[in-house]
Amino acid sequence: MSSETKSVCEQETYEYLYNAHSQTLYNYIYYKCGDKQQAEDTVQDAFVKLWNNCSKVFFEKAKSFLYTVARNIFLNEVAHKKIVLEHQNTLSNRTTNETPLFLLEEQEFMQQLKDAIANLPEKQREVFLLSRIDKKKYSEIAEITGVSIKAVEKRMSLALVTLRKQFGKI
Amino acid sequence: MEKYIKEDDFLARWISGELSTEELKKFENSKDYTVLKRINDASQTLKAPTFNNQALLNKLREQTSAKPQTSKTRVIKLIPNWAYAAAAVMIAFGVFYVMNMQSNFNTGFSEQLAVVLPDNSEVKLNANSHLNYKTLNWRSDRKLELEGEAFFDVEKGKTFKVITNEGVVEVLGTEFNVISRNTYFEVQCMEGKVRVTSNTLHKNVVLLPGEAVRIVNNNFEEWNFELNEPNWLVGESTFYNAPILQVLQALENQFEITFDTSNIDSNKRFTGAFTHKDLSLAIKTVSTPMNLSYSLDKEERIIRLSSKE
Repeated sequence: MSSETKSVCEQETYEYLYNAHSQTLYNYIYYKCGDKQQAEDTVQDAFVKLWNNCSKVFFEKAKSFLYTVARNIFLNEVAHKKIVLEHQNTLSNRTTNETPLFLLEEQEFMQQLKDAIANLPEKQREVFLLSRIDKKKYSEIAEITGVSIKAVEKRMSLALVTLRKQFGKI
Repeated sequence: MEKYIKEDDFLARWISGELSTEELKKFENSKDYTVLKRINDASQTLKAPTFNNQALLNKLREQTSAKPQTSKTRVIKLIPNWAYAAAAVMIAFGVFYVMNMQSNFNTGFSEQLAVVLPDNSEVKLNANSHLNYKTLNWRSDRKLELEGEAFFDVEKGKTFKVITNEGVVEVLGTEFNVISRNTYFEVQCMEGKVRVTSNTLHKNVVLLPGEAVRIVNNNFEEWNFELNEPNWLVGESTFYNAPILQVLQALENQFEITFDTSNIDSNKRFTGAFTHKDLSLAIKTVSTPMNLSYSLDKEERIIRLSSKE
């Protein structure tokens, strides 16, 4: 144990970890259960637990500790809600020349997509959203969800196939 | 949907941009591409619900600052400081012990013992003798202490010293016999060259093969003999003009007996030999030529000697 290793018990280190991971942790749990309150509570519980165990958790291991704790807390919760995603209206800025019909259709598509994602099996959904919204690499997703990279890729492909089926022909 | 698209990681690789140009081209031409592309593009504009992580952080700060002191880690050293001190002391003792490590050899009455020293020199200890030397660094400091009688066959090397109460015997590589008992000191040289230094006379003498010296009445007394090795090695003690008390002491050592010498003339000298195998024969061979009579007290193993006249 070198003295250069940061201690999680340092307030500074602890807040650094919080800033680095709280958002993704929150999203991850939200993708799973669709409950904002539960996601927030889970994040809080996970970080409290990290603090209580700060002397036992090495800095390098803190990230996976957080995700593992969050996963376990999540597994103990029963009630799941349907996830509700928002969507950035980036399109509207650059689509001034688009017809109202197109915009309407676009809106419809987005709603359909959100529903389809909400209906995805939880494991496919969390991988798909961590990749598409949080822009995580497969290796990172593997670390967060605690499965192998191969499994992440498989879930990602499956999610796309499932989504594709929802839309039939366009 | 075409089969290859459903393969385990095809779409995953597409998302991460790992498809080869060929694969990509083929995929772009398939009818699923437009839909999947649209799903992908659209899903990237999605957002998770906003999460006030600053508020939560403040909440956490309250929770965690409440007990940072209690959860502050106590660093317990794997090796406490006193262990270093203890180890140092142990090592010091260890070094001291090794430096002073001695080999001790003792022989009791009527015992003999052959000892091979670290440099292959040999020492044969006669009865009731004591030998010790430091084992460490033997080759550069060949020094041993002797009390009693021993025969040395010394390998060539650094000066070999036999230290006794009465004097020091120094050689370079030779064979010699040393007797040092009480105040008696005798050295016989069988081979090579031996220097004998007396502690009491502050003199030294160099012996050549066949020469022997003893200290009697505060004087070096030299004589010659013709032996390749001392007779005691083959079960006999030989004396040349030796003080009678010395001969009797040799008998005592071989047979674990005690002589009462109060009635004899201690200035007499003895030349001859006695066997180590038979007590009465040995006593006869000594007492007869010396004109002594003896009586045996079996219980106490005391033999009273008296002059015959």
